[in-house]
Amino acid sequence: MSAVATLGLDPARAADPGRYRIGDRAPRLALKPASSAEVAEALRAASTDQLGVIPWGGGSQLARFEAPERFDVALDLSALDRIVVYEPEDLTVTAECGITLGALHATLADRGQELPLESPHAARSTLGGTLATNASGPRRLRLGAPRDRILGARFALADGTLIRSGGQVVKNVAGFALHRLLCGSGGGLAVLLEASLKLLPGPEARVVLIYAATGEQLADAERWERLPRLDPAFATVLGRAAADALGEPEAARAPFAVAVGLEDDMKVVAQQERTLGAAWGPPVARLEGAEAIALCRRLTEVQDQAQARLTFTSPHRVPAPIAPLLSLAGVERLVFHAPAGRLHWFPESGSAQAIVRGLAEHGFVLIGARRAGDLEPVVAPQAAVRALRLRIREALDPGRVLALGERWAESL
Amino acid sequence: MNLSHSLLNQLRALIGADGVLVSHAARFTYEADALALEKHLPDVVVLPRSTDEVAALVRWAHAHRIPVTPRGAGTGLAGGATPERGGIVLSLNRMDQVLSLDPERMLAWVQPGLVNLWLSQRLAPQGLTYAPDPASQQVSTLGGNVATNAGGPHCLKYGVTMNHLLGLVVVLYDGSVVTLGGEAPDAPDFDLGSLVTGSEGTLGVVTEVCVRLVPRPEAVKTMLFDFATVEESCRAVSAAIAAGIVPAAMEIMDQHTVSLVEEWLHLGLPLDAGAVLLIEVDGPAVSLERQAEQIGELARRHGARSTRIARDEAERAAIWKGRKSAFGAYGRSASGFYIMDGVVPRTRLAEALSGVHRLCAERGLEAGNVFHAGDGNLHPHVLFDADDPAQQAAALEVSHEILRMCIRMGGTISGEHGVGIEKRPMMRELFGRDDLAAMERVRRAFDPEGLLNPGKILPGEGEPTAANPAQLGGMRPVGNSEGPWI
Repeated sequence: MSAVATLGLDPARAADPGRYRIGDRAPRLALKPASSAEVAEALRAASTDQLGVIPWGGGSQLARFEAPERFDVALDLSALDRIVVYEPEDLTVTAECGITLGALHATLADRGQELPLESPHAARSTLGGTLATNASGPRRLRLGAPRDRILGARFALADGTLIRSGGQVVKNVAGFALHRLLCGSGGGLAVLLEASLKLLPGPEARVVLIYAATGEQLADAERWERLPRLDPAFATVLGRAAADALGEPEAARAPFAVAVGLEDDMKVVAQQERTLGAAWGPPVARLEGAEAIALCRRLTEVQDQAQARLTFTSPHRVPAPIAPLLSLAGVERLVFHAPAGRLHWFPESGSAQAIVRGLAEHGFVLIGARRAGDLEPVVAPQAAVRALRLRIREALDPGRVLALGERWAESL
Repeated sequence: MNLSHSLLNQLRALIGADGVLVSHAARFTYEADALALEKHLPDVVVLPRSTDEVAALVRWAHAHRIPVTPRGAGTGLAGGATPERGGIVLSLNRMDQVLSLDPERMLAWVQPGLVNLWLSQRLAPQGLTYAPDPASQQVSTLGGNVATNAGGPHCLKYGVTMNHLLGLVVVLYDGSVVTLGGEAPDAPDFDLGSLVTGSEGTLGVVTEVCVRLVPRPEAVKTMLFDFATVEESCRAVSAAIAAGIVPAAMEIMDQHTVSLVEEWLHLGLPLDAGAVLLIEVDGPAVSLERQAEQIGELARRHGARSTRIARDEAERAAIWKGRKSAFGAYGRSASGFYIMDGVVPRTRLAEALSGVHRLCAERGLEAGNVFHAGDGNLHPHVLFDADDPAQQAAALEVSHEILRMCIRMGGTISGEHGVGIEKRPMMRELFGRDDLAAMERVRRAFDPEGLLNPGKILPGEGEPTAANPAQLGGMRPVGNSEGPWI
């Protein structure tokens, strides 16, 4: 392989471009740098050659999207996979961004601590990818979003300059929080290399209660009104097809299932269980400990049950507000993380625009679309925000090297 | 800069005459925040009443190239609200309303001038609260809290201001008004809101805030432990965190502080203790007894000599009064003192405190310590004679040495007070040139001409790496006897 084809890196860092397809497009070259310095070197060279670079984590999300306009270089960060500092007594961890969530989960679980990040395909999804896509799961409200958990980061600008913001300690207001800006920036503003996170102690008890529900029960506002103040770790509503994927046969016997996660001290969980039992009767399934953890992971996986996906946010905290949506096509696959108001809808071919419009009437704002075709926004984008985003991109990547920056700057 | 009559009349036409203050006496009030180190008179103080008025004002100031320094209650300790380059102080104090309250969805829209504590008082009948509780909460405003990403004793469990924001209405540099985020936990553009939070008014003026509310904890238990040494108390804190216990608050006062507070307020604090550790747990009542037992056992294992548990709200209030009166107590004991806001990893607290005492002792200075131990957020107070220039210089020097030590330990120079003017020179020691340049570029993306709170946070080219000791004459306590600012 020529020097140009590895952008100045050791030819051993070249990878097979065919493994980095986005949609139907493979990059011209793929590189797997082994250090931050090599990432910087590759970016510098790509910048000089005006190549479009896409940072690549586990590929679990990117590969499912439509092909971008420019895709010259896939920059595979999975070799940057070390835990840099882990002091359990500090309840913080600093790790390189190519580490998988699975590997991080395992290290922390050994010390009874918990990574406050959730993403489908944890065995493959990387820390950097999870932060960059602002991924979350059923416990979105309990854990916060990536921006709530990130303490600081090291990252490379498109011209290869290595930058740091924030730090490793749990409180820090020194300087501009560029690391928070990068959460959700989709690899379009800078390349995340290392991040520090605030952890959580693992709860003493974990229980998941699965309730079967009819459409009428979902619509019954009174049934759910106490839920937010009960403070469950999650309360996810699933359509029958989505529930089927949980592997709990009882869950898929009714049109809908509601999986309620309780995570706290043993006594608190017992009290929460009694409260729910008094309100809703016995669940169709009850899981605890490792089984509860596994079920929570499956709830994250069902967020990715089909290629075409629309993701919405809303201020709703309970299941009842989704009642008006239950007649729409695709309802059997819906996944609604009620306490966080987060809804995943898997539209049938050609129906995405109608779904987006229909849901907007009920307070659901589209925040992510994948393989859903071109969508007209329901609310006109704010021109001043768009202009601001373009200026931010210009400030960090004036050469427009990071090809996904277009998406970040334009998506509203 | 002096604004002409014509310009002032234009301002009056925009905001109304009663919202434009030009007398020397009025401007004098706004020459500094709680950092008396730096004082600069603004040319005019403007008090708008609405987002539209703020937008009109910022648009007008931009057109005339006049700097705008937004200001809340002025409790900041870093000079973030000091109008260093004159121009307009934009006081948001008249925008102090709760705009809407949605108890079911547990959120509220508020104006930035609303006092933090008023919000929680207003929410109490609904069984809700706004969790971030900076010690200045009786006075400080939500807008100021957003600008500094304020913490507080209870942010150990509940997180800082940023973790409780859903949406911001922001007036940008040119007067355009944008909404970042909204009422839902996520929005495609909220990442900009999380950057604006903590940017000390340099990226825009926040004119409306949508906050996330939480249920008021069902029960609370407040405990006070005393230790022979401050190191032991720090080890007890680390042990609790390591055991997976995250109380609502963990605060330490060292012997020096305890003696000053006790001498003043007679709260029954142990005078012979090397340190007292205040721990508060809250949540469902069924969980507290056991948590308290676990904490008590850990504390005793690490040397706690006695335990005091508040039996009622009055006793709890007395314990907290001791903690929150530290600032005032220092003010009574020395003519000058300097407060730091450094942070170290929680596991290095004991080492950091030894370092603070050693560095001060080497210079013949006394230091007190009262701090958010659970977060590793130190507030060393270096005491000095304000009339002794040599002591003043030594105090400033030691404060920089202490912050350098925090940086070496893997920490930072500000946990919650912000950088403002005061810590600006230290930014060069915390960050590299490229880091600061990238931050500056992003700031310029928000404010191309740098007219919003100009000069704050980032050190300009050619500035000294440390503040000029000649400025120390202004470093005096602000004389507030309650002094709940830290």
